[in-house]
Order: sequence, then C-alpha cells, then structure tokens
Amino acid sequence: MSDNKEQTFFTALSDAVLDMDEVKVEEIAHRVIKEKIDAYRAIENGLVDGMNRAGQLFEDEEYFIPEILLCSDAMYAGLNILNPYINREQQRTRKKVVIGVVEGDTHDIGKNLVKTLLDAAGFEVVDLGRDVPPAQIVNAAIAEHADVIALSTLMTTTMDGMASVIKILQESGHRDAVKVIVGGGPISQSFADRIGADGYAPSAPAAVKLLHKLFKDSIYA
Amino acid sequence: MPDSTINRAAQKDALFPLQRLQAYAQGLPVDRLPCVPIVGNTAARVLGVTVSSLRNNGKILADAQIASYRRFGYDNIRVFTDLYTIAEGMGAQIRVPEDETAFLAEPAIQNVSGISGLRPVDPCRDGVLPEQIEAVKRVVQEVGNEVPVTAALTCPFTNASFLIGAVNLSRLVLKDPASVHHLCKLSLESALAYAEAIFNAGGTPSLTDAMSSSSVISPKQFEEFSYPYLKTLVDYIHSKSRSATLHICGKTSPIWDKMADTGADCISIDNDANLLDAKKKIGHRVRLMGNVHPSAIMLQGTPQDIRREVCKCVIAAHDNPKGFVVASGCSLPTETPFENIDAMLDAVREIGYPVSVGLLEEIVNNS
Repeated sequence: MSDNKEQTFFTALSDAVLDMDEVKVEEIAHRVIKEKIDAYRAIENGLVDGMNRAGQLFEDEEYFIPEILLCSDAMYAGLNILNPYINREQQRTRKKVVIGVVEGDTHDIGKNLVKTLLDAAGFEVVDLGRDVPPAQIVNAAIAEHADVIALSTLMTTTMDGMASVIKILQESGHRDAVKVIVGGGPISQSFADRIGADGYAPSAPAAVKLLHKLFKDSIYA
Repeated sequence: MPDSTINRAAQKDALFPLQRLQAYAQGLPVDRLPCVPIVGNTAARVLGVTVSSLRNNGKILADAQIASYRRFGYDNIRVFTDLYTIAEGMGAQIRVPEDETAFLAEPAIQNVSGISGLRPVDPCRDGVLPEQIEAVKRVVQEVGNEVPVTAALTCPFTNASFLIGAVNLSRLVLKDPASVHHLCKLSLESALAYAEAIFNAGGTPSLTDAMSSSSVISPKQFEEFSYPYLKTLVDYIHSKSRSATLHICGKTSPIWDKMADTGADCISIDNDANLLDAKKKIGHRVRLMGNVHPSAIMLQGTPQDIRREVCKCVIAAHDNPKGFVVASGCSLPTETPFENIDAMLDAVREIGYPVSVGLLEEIVNNS
C-alpha cells in the first residue's frame, strides 16, 4: 500500500472526526482493517489528529461543548473498531491519569471534556466518574499506579475535597509518586498553590498542555 | 421605614436600598453606588442554621435572608438556595447534604423517550416551590418596603439540562433540536407558572441561566435554544411593570448583544467577562452588575483584596450609561467570610458617589 493511499485514509478519518460524523468514521475504520492499513497509525494520524483539530477549534471558540462531545463520540467509535488490531509491540506503556469529579458535585461536562482531550493526546485515562470521595480517588490512583490525579469541580462547596486528596496522599506517603492537577469554574492558580497541587488548568485544552509541560512532552511512562 | 436594633444597613447608610435605587435610576444624588454581594446559602450562616434547613422551610429561609440583609445592608434580597427547584418539581432527583448546597443527583429522564411523561410544575404543590414562595411572601412582608425582593428563577435551557442531563442535552442540541425545544418549552411553562407565583407573593423573578453560557454553547445555539425563552420571560416580567435582571455564568461576551435584545434591564456578568468591554458594547442599553470573583476573591481573599477588586470594577463601570451595580460575579460560596462581605459594602461606602476615579486608581496602585 502506498503512503499516499494510507494518508488518504488517515485524512478521511481525521476529517470525519472533525465533522462529528460517527457513521463515516466507522465506515472508514472498517475499510482500514480490510485494506490491512496499520491500525495504530490510523488511530494516531487519523482519529487523534481529528480530535486534536477539534480541540484547537474549541480553543478558538469555533467549536463548543456540543461539537466536542460529538467529535469525541466519533473518535471513540473509531477506537472501538481499530484498537483490537494494534500490534503488541506498538503498545508502549503510556502515562496514566486518574480523573474524577470530587464528592458533592455531579457536574461532569468539564471532566468529560478533559478526559476526551487527554485520551486524544495519548494518555491512558481512568475515569472515576462524578461525586467521588477523596479516599476513593487516592485508592484508585495507588491501585492503578497512576502518574496523575486530575480533579475537577464546578462547585465551591467541593473545593475542600481537592485539598483532602492531597492531604491523604501526603499522610499515606504517596505524594511524590503522583502529580495532582486541578481545574473547574471556581478554581484558580492561587487555590491550586495553596492546597499544594502540581498544576492548575483553566480549560480542557489547557489541561493537556499542562501535562505536556509537567512531563516534558513525553506521554510514555 | 421599619426599626430594628440589628439594622446595620440603617446605621451605616443614609438611604434604604429602594430609595437609593430609585434616586440612582433618576440621576439624583445618592450616598453610594448600589451593591449586591449575591448571598445565597451564606444566609444560613448568618442565622446560625444548617444549609439544608432553608430549602424546604419558608419561614427559616425568609428569616435567614432577612437576617443576612440586615447584617450586611446590601441592595437586593434574592431568595435562592440552589438552581434545581423547578427541575425537582418536574421529577429530577436532588441530593440535599445536611449542611451544603443541594445538587442534582439524577436528571428527571434518561433519554428523549421520557419527554412525553414530563409535566410543567404547579408551584403551589410541587417539590420545595411552595416553601420558596412562602419565603418570598414573608420577606416582602418584613422588609419589602425598603429593599427589592427577588427570587431566583432557573431559565428554560438550564432547566432542560437538569431534566435530561447536561451531556445528553449538549448532544441533542446538534442531533435532535426538536427535542431540545420540547424540553425548553416545558421548562418555560414551569418558569412562567413559578414567575407568576413569585409576583403573587410580592416579589420579582431574577433570571439565571448557567448553561446558556458561551463557555458551553455557541452564540448561534444560544440564539436558537436560549434567547426566545429568555425573551418570553423578560416580556412577562415587563408586563408586570417590573424590571428584569439576567445572569449568565462564564463567558458571555459573544452574546451580550443578544442578552440585551431580550429586553433585560440589568445584566449580571461573571468573572470570565470584562466590565469595561461590556460597558462599551451594551452599556447604553442595559445596567451592568458585577463582577468580583466569588471564590478566588470573596471566599479566599482578604478584605484588602476585596477593596482593591471593588475599586477596579468601579473604575471600569461607574460611568456605565445605564448604571452600574457593584456585585460578585456569581452567587457567593456558602462559607464566604462575613468580613469579606462587609469589606465589599464598606469599599462601596468609602468610594461614595459621585465617583472620583483618581482616588480609586491610587488605592489600586497602592495595594
């Protein structure tokens, strides 16, 4: 198969993700398998590329939350088809992020957005959902050998839960093993500093950039 | 005017809020700019009761709001415990922690097939609405002759998100616009019924529409799914000869024109929005209200921080053609320290009226 033809498939996948066209993504993904095109590269150069472009449009305020959600639906539809065809050698261990919304808050749009963009950026993301008690977040991070805990909240009432997570990490001797990043409406850099978080991101794309910065651009463990 | 030993408003200010607002609107001399730190469940702390005791008890809710108004002396009472009261009346499940703000546990329906089972609320019967109305009635009876009494009204697009879930609604915006309108229409019917009950209790609805933010939906989606319903509510408020205040959280600059087009008299903006820009763009059409950061400054800052931030807001918007109200960008967190709320009012008193910008710039530069 020529590089040119492969690239045509990758571009088509990327465009279909950007166009929020789930059906088309599935169609092309099946053809990728049939044509024996490398699934890993189809994910990286097709699906993830499309999601990154969507993330850029979100940052530029051309796409909003509805568009990003449908782009990510399309990306995940493609991943479901292509993932089983990835070679084992290609599966390097990637940095793992445990993400959740702190107990007392059930707003998870922001968290879902961060999860999607981190997925697209190549991180391995474990989603704990919403309304999660601090101890449970820490336990999950330890059990998963996570490199990052990412916490989000929209409500000021649950901000203390973020501080609790860091305190439990300290008391259990795990603070140095994991980076903690925080975000969400009421959170600010000064709050992040005060509770001793490793970073603060004001938006979902900023969360991706923040992790790239913290890990010096390497997503591999 | 009523007499009270704990009426700090009367002690510190020359005018009562209604007198001040009326004079300010007419361009007459006033003692200070209007000031509204948006107090919600912090009122429970003032009265010394748990947050959960306010929500479904008209007497306690009224007592707390009255005590808070008297404690701080701000210019508007807003009966508010959480955004979910209408959605709850329509079947959403709300969790009510003992001493924290209530939150949405489960939306009323899981998918569009449930829409046909939804009914608009009866505010005299459903959920906590009767008690919230009772609170409005009691506050109006007690202090309605000196201060405007409003009650928060969750607007249709935001309420729709509580009915079917925010993520579901966001997908439907692109995939099934008709269902979004269906949910918004049901929410509008509920909102109009609740608004009528608020009027009958002597209060005025205060419009709040978190999900219509440009942090969530595009300006085009706002125009399609939020604007028509907001306009209907503003028209209704005007039909009762009252003025309408509209608050939308997060980023709003792309929709300021449309927010003004609803006919709202006052627009309350969050910290993601810039007062100076808002003044330039829509200040000749609407009064502006904002925007000291509720958590970074009001909750976590010092009184000095608050004085500085108030000065910045006043420098930006004191000469807004349609007027300006010093306020927090959004509802205050429950645990906002009293001295920080005092600091907001005290700064506005210190600044006085008319405003001397040179003096304010000095304060900002020296802090």
